[in-house]
Amino acid sequence: MLISDLVTPSAVIASLKATSKKQALQELARRAAELTGEPERAIFDVLLERERLGTTGVGDGVAIPHGKLANLPRLFGMFARLDRPIDFEAIDEQPVDLIFLLLAPGGAGADHLKALARVSRLLRDRTIRDKLRGSETAEALFALLVEQQASAA
Amino acid sequence: MEAINQLVFQLIFVGALLVAASILLVMISSRIGAPLLLVFLGIGMLAGEDGIGGIPFSDFRLTYLVGSVALAIILFDGGLRTPRSAFRIALAPAASLATVGVLVTAVIAGVIACWALQVGWLTGLLIGATIASTDAAAVFLLLHARGTEIAKRVSATLEVESGMNDPMAIFLTIACIEWVTATQAPISPLHIAGIFAMQMLGGTAIGIGGGFGLLWLINRVEIAAGLYPILAAAAALTVFAGAQLIDASGFLAIYLTGLVLGNNRHRAQQVISRFHDGLAWLSQITMFLLLGLLVTPSALFADWRAEIAIALALIFVARPAAVFLALAPFRFDLRERSFIAWVGLRGAVPIFLASIPVMAGIPDGMTIFNVAFVVVIASLLLQGWTIAPAARFLGLELPPAPEQTARQGIDLPLSTDREAASWRVAPGSPALATPFRDLNLPRRTRVIAVIRDGAVQQRDMLDRLQADDYVIALAAPQHVIALDRIFSAPSTAPGGKRRGMGDFLFNGDVPLGRLHDLYAIPLRDVQPEETIDAYMRRRLGGTVEVGDHVPFGTGELIVYALDKDRILRAALAIEPAEDRLPVLRLLRRLLAGRRAPDA
Repeated sequence: MLISDLVTPSAVIASLKATSKKQALQELARRAAELTGEPERAIFDVLLERERLGTTGVGDGVAIPHGKLANLPRLFGMFARLDRPIDFEAIDEQPVDLIFLLLAPGGAGADHLKALARVSRLLRDRTIRDKLRGSETAEALFALLVEQQASAA
Repeated sequence: MEAINQLVFQLIFVGALLVAASILLVMISSRIGAPLLLVFLGIGMLAGEDGIGGIPFSDFRLTYLVGSVALAIILFDGGLRTPRSAFRIALAPAASLATVGVLVTAVIAGVIACWALQVGWLTGLLIGATIASTDAAAVFLLLHARGTEIAKRVSATLEVESGMNDPMAIFLTIACIEWVTATQAPISPLHIAGIFAMQMLGGTAIGIGGGFGLLWLINRVEIAAGLYPILAAAAALTVFAGAQLIDASGFLAIYLTGLVLGNNRHRAQQVISRFHDGLAWLSQITMFLLLGLLVTPSALFADWRAEIAIALALIFVARPAAVFLALAPFRFDLRERSFIAWVGLRGAVPIFLASIPVMAGIPDGMTIFNVAFVVVIASLLLQGWTIAPAARFLGLELPPAPEQTARQGIDLPLSTDREAASWRVAPGSPALATPFRDLNLPRRTRVIAVIRDGAVQQRDMLDRLQADDYVIALAAPQHVIALDRIFSAPSTAPGGKRRGMGDFLFNGDVPLGRLHDLYAIPLRDVQPEETIDAYMRRRLGGTVEVGDHVPFGTGELIVYALDKDRILRAALAIEPAEDRLPVLRLLRRLLAGRRAPDA
């Protein structure tokens, strides 16, 4: 599975404004609703419900909120870099500024986990995180996310 | 008179200077990560006859005396610091390693020594016996080296093993020497079995009895506070030497004495603990300096091919074989077994034991001594230097605990059920985020005073704590760690630290069925209603420690945070451990000879 199978250029946000975890999830749900046509409320609820089981802030300033939506046709990924880091109740208590949102269809089966593993492995790479933090535009961010698929398999 | 004065003050001058220099070098060595003990040994060698100091020293008897006291003190301190919980989970595997493990190590190393040095099998076995036990000083010190936290079950096993395995090695060494020096008919197996029983059972009984006796004594007598640690040390050494005098294992006894004292509330707890911390350091420094002085480096490598061969065989063959055999009945996975096998640290004990044959005048005495010395250096260099990387490589490293707060315990009367301590508030600590009166402190915690810039603050006037304030509080013993968290800076976890710990955190009360719904993880022999907490505890058996892992689906669940025995949070690792560790992934791919399909 490749990152380019998950994210399109329009699903990359270079500077998302949010002051809290809840607000960040709300904002992401709004953008994801625009791109997928799914109801914003349903997306937000799914993400919030997942956070209740345990935080998706995986450490090093990265969060990977995710969840399943029954009617979604295919896996949907969205990447956002935050304007300024926020508290995400992350595993290492560090504030989060890189968020990869992943939504999976009801019948995604093992693909959901594979996609998460792929994203998690990508963002675990310190050099990639540094580059993502140093890039200006959404285009540059997108290029970084998909270029890695060849080397960091 | 003049001459005596000269000699006395020369001795004091050189001795004190060496110790001071060793302590100052600790700073440098911790920066480059070199095992401290090696540094002390090196200083001793430098000061010795072949080094710049040029001090001729070859007094095996004095070394044996000082070494005995130092080892005993180190074991006592190790016992004081081993919490009952660690002892409980580690006792069975550690006991197996300390007996079967030591025997197997001694035999395999002995056979190799026989072959490498072309000596008789009894001498070979004697060499094997001297180098068969891991060293308490080295293990306690290196496992707790700066910034390394290793999965509890593994580190506890290694520590308790090192506290208990010296008696077995000592017993084997002495049995071999008796055998070598026996003039008449060969010694009967029954005699050997008798010695063994006396060493082990006698040592255990005297140690535990001595521990409770010492506990009773300390809680009964009223003496100046500064005398309690001295009383503890003197009484412990009495137990040690008393046991040795009647042919029971004093080393086992004094470790158990420390264990009993350290795990029962007693008077002057803080003073005793701090004093013995210092005393154990001094013992390590003195012992290694002296051993460094004792050896003649130029003679050390007379037979270097054989010596290195024995050292490598011990590290790569004998220890792993012994660990895998001794741990076969216990639940450890391959990574944990490998780590335990790798951390077979040798320290002062082999050198110390190898000085016995020299003193007993056994023909190959010096050869045995030199082999032991080379083995210890090789072990400290190869294994001592690589503990942290090995833990990381095998995914056994835990995320760092919050940085140690400047917490100072305060001794209270025995009958109180709370502990008193002072904390220095760290910059960036959670306590700074909320106004003082709204601080969410654990139940039954009472702040006694806040001190800022040397002045006690009016508490009702205090709006918010500041960094470097001192907070003095009473708290229930189980809440002290929670207070540490509140007053210390959040851990600055660099990326690599977390690597072994999986991808996502889940609360312990989440039912496994939810994970199945979300990720389509197959549930084999599991009820969907079973919670993560219940499932992991069921699979782990009686005891649970942070870092313990249980297979789940294609990956595993790892214990992340505990409250007593309840699992508060667990990390879900999506992929099996070897896939999470880049090095192992690469290795596996190389072995498979092809690129694994992209996940």
